Amino acid sequence: MLFNSFSFLGFFAVLAVACYSVSHRFRWALLLAASLYFYAAFQPRYLILLLGAALATYVAGRLIERLGDDSRRRAVFTAGVAAVLGSLLVFKYYDFAASTLDELFASAGAGSQLPLFPRLDLAVAVGLSFFTFSCVSYLADVRAERLPAERHFGHFALYVSFFPKLLAGPIERAGPFLPQLVRPVVFNAAGVTAGLQQMLWGLFKKVVVADRLAAFVDAAYAQPAFSSPADLVLGTYFFAFQLYCDFSGYSDMAIGASKVLGIDLMENFRRPYLSASVPEFWSKRWHLSLAGWFRDYLYIPMGGSRCSRLRRHFNVMAVFLVSGLWHGANWTFVVWGCLNGLYQVFSLVTRRARARIGGLADRVSLPSGGRELAGVLVTFHLVLVTWVFFRAESLTDAVTILSRVTASAAELPRLLLVRIANGEILFSFALIAVLLLWEVIDERRPVWDSLTASSVYVRWAVYYALLVCLVVLGTWSQREFVYMQF
Amino acid sequence: MTGMAKSDSGAAAQAAARPSPARAEVRRFLRSAVPFLLVGAAIYGALYAASERLIGRYALRNRFHMVKTAPRTGYDCVILGASHAVVLDNRDMNARLEEITGQTILNLATVGGGITVNRLLLEYFLDEHRTGSVVYVLDSFPFYSREWNEERLLDRKLFLRAPWDPTLAARLLRNQAAWPVAADYITGFSKINNPDRFEPDTHVQEGPRFERVYRPVEQIDRQRIAYLYPEGTSEASGADSAYFAEFEKLIRDVLSRGIQFIVVRPPIPERVYRMIPNERQFDVTIKRMLEHAGVELHDFSSAGNEEQFFFDSDHLNRDGVLNFFEHHLRAVLKPDRPEE
Repeated sequence: MLFNSFSFLGFFAVLAVACYSVSHRFRWALLLAASLYFYAAFQPRYLILLLGAALATYVAGRLIERLGDDSRRRAVFTAGVAAVLGSLLVFKYYDFAASTLDELFASAGAGSQLPLFPRLDLAVAVGLSFFTFSCVSYLADVRAERLPAERHFGHFALYVSFFPKLLAGPIERAGPFLPQLVRPVVFNAAGVTAGLQQMLWGLFKKVVVADRLAAFVDAAYAQPAFSSPADLVLGTYFFAFQLYCDFSGYSDMAIGASKVLGIDLMENFRRPYLSASVPEFWSKRWHLSLAGWFRDYLYIPMGGSRCSRLRRHFNVMAVFLVSGLWHGANWTFVVWGCLNGLYQVFSLVTRRARARIGGLADRVSLPSGGRELAGVLVTFHLVLVTWVFFRAESLTDAVTILSRVTASAAELPRLLLVRIANGEILFSFALIAVLLLWEVIDERRPVWDSLTASSVYVRWAVYYALLVCLVVLGTWSQREFVYMQF
Repeated sequence: MTGMAKSDSGAAAQAAARPSPARAEVRRFLRSAVPFLLVGAAIYGALYAASERLIGRYALRNRFHMVKTAPRTGYDCVILGASHAVVLDNRDMNARLEEITGQTILNLATVGGGITVNRLLLEYFLDEHRTGSVVYVLDSFPFYSREWNEERLLDRKLFLRAPWDPTLAARLLRNQAAWPVAADYITGFSKINNPDRFEPDTHVQEGPRFERVYRPVEQIDRQRIAYLYPEGTSEASGADSAYFAEFEKLIRDVLSRGIQFIVVRPPIPERVYRMIPNERQFDVTIKRMLEHAGVELHDFSSAGNEEQFFFDSDHLNRDGVLNFFEHHLRAVLKPDRPEE
């Protein structure tokens, strides 16, 4: 029951009506039942994993709160985190570690006894990385006494399994979420409308933009050695927007659906491709819930920036390395994380020099808009290089793509001009242009706010335009969201 | 005292009559939502009408469209089957067959169409038309898998160019297994959403390939067989008896309407025939079943099956189709005329 399916839209409509029809006392039970049903529609056998993680975290949280002795609290916290992350390690990383170790042993001459480590071949539970991180953040908050342990198991289970955020985030914190379950919800037309607007925009990004681009990207990346350099370049540009529209589309639908049900979730994206620097991209605009999670529960506990310069650089690299691994058990994600870490470290190291250059530019009165645009373009292309590793099936493929593109750099403009003269590709560019235009306007003043303030004719015209695009141009092949695999 | 009590009860009644703030909010929301939905429905209706017009302009080979727009109510013969029968309608082939036999013929065969799909098409045809005979170009692969039957029936691509017809909608609704596709057909969603809405629906086999002569490649042949028999059909496994029963029922229904039922096995290269799992056993079973039903079987699987008559592993090319018409099918459709 994907967000981009009619079965979900039907399920959601029924749930929304039911949610405002039942008494407030039973609302959590209705939402929990709906969330478990939603999850069971994907992988019923992993419901036990979801509920097990919720129960283990709940019990650990209560114990941490009750125990006075800090060493005991630490022991329970460690046990709780180990129990929750253990499932993540087994399901997601065990086979990767086993095959890596086997390869290492094979290179050391132990080939005859391979495989030394048996494979589990377990299908990864959808949303595992997301709900385990929610559990860990809750335990850390309870242990740090930033949050009281939740007494109501039903409420806590709903926090872990709340269906809009269950499969691909946002990785919501318990602090802002749990009190919303206690507060009575009354129907609020403005809130419901805002939620529906966000769902509509998210669905548009996924079904009209992302899935259309996906077909081209898949073809280009299927066998990079046989794709033309022009297709590889176009495929990489398209992937940048496919990924953004796919993931932010999911987030928008999740946040919007939640808003319709009277629960606010945190923002996850803030027009990331308008970032003027890589640090801005990561700290203020892209996958904010994960970036915030790593900042609060890994980077700061490691010492953050209040330590020596070398240690700080190490912390940054460690966070991005773990972030890469969080995305998937593959060396491509490790390199992707390292590359982003290097960008961050480089940015820290050259901060003063760049400030000096900025000062010089001010003195010769270079237009700030031009500088900003240059920053946006440079940042986008730096990020684009990392997406090659993110999308490629293997490191060999990623290296093939980059080497083939650089080898044909001189020929590329001509090749691209020839390749672009194709209706489908031109249409894809037009969609990207519309998206960017929307984002530029949104950066100055939120588009939906402007529309809400405008006349009903303008507002409805925009709604109908988006709906017509969904019906006429949408790719309704029920393609999974990219981040569901993580 | 009484007066105060009266005024209290009056205020309470007024308060009770006044809607709660939440209910008033819902009403306010519905007051704008209902017209929004009505205008949306009107826009959707306009899109639906536009997609129907496009179907009228670009649909060529969709079998439901062919039935709906058939120039006659009565035909001498209707051809059913899967892709091996579809090639008999490539380009001008059906007109050639009509010319050769002097009969009016409508080819309703569908690529990947098993018994379930063919049955729907024939019943839809017979709702408003009639035919003297049904020629079923029979392959064994639809007898092995749901993929070519129930699942194929649910393939929305089958209905992308199917014009709106309440008769077809009713037929789909009567078949519970077809409800998902019935909903799609009735709402017209796939037709509006069809990315190839401005392209004629000619089959890929009608292109230049149709003229080609295939040079056999064993790996390609094996892939083709694996595609047609997807569930790993082996010597040990038999065809699904449910599809034999369905085929038998189709024959009975056709015969009960006084329509002649003829089964034709199409030509197939010898090497491909040998690759098909369980094919001899299938031949024996189907022969017995047809004898029992009193239906003629014309087995041309090893006739006119020379390599130069195929454009791929198992489909007749233009020369192959013409040869098949001239030397084999003509005699089946016009048995009173001696073969030349």
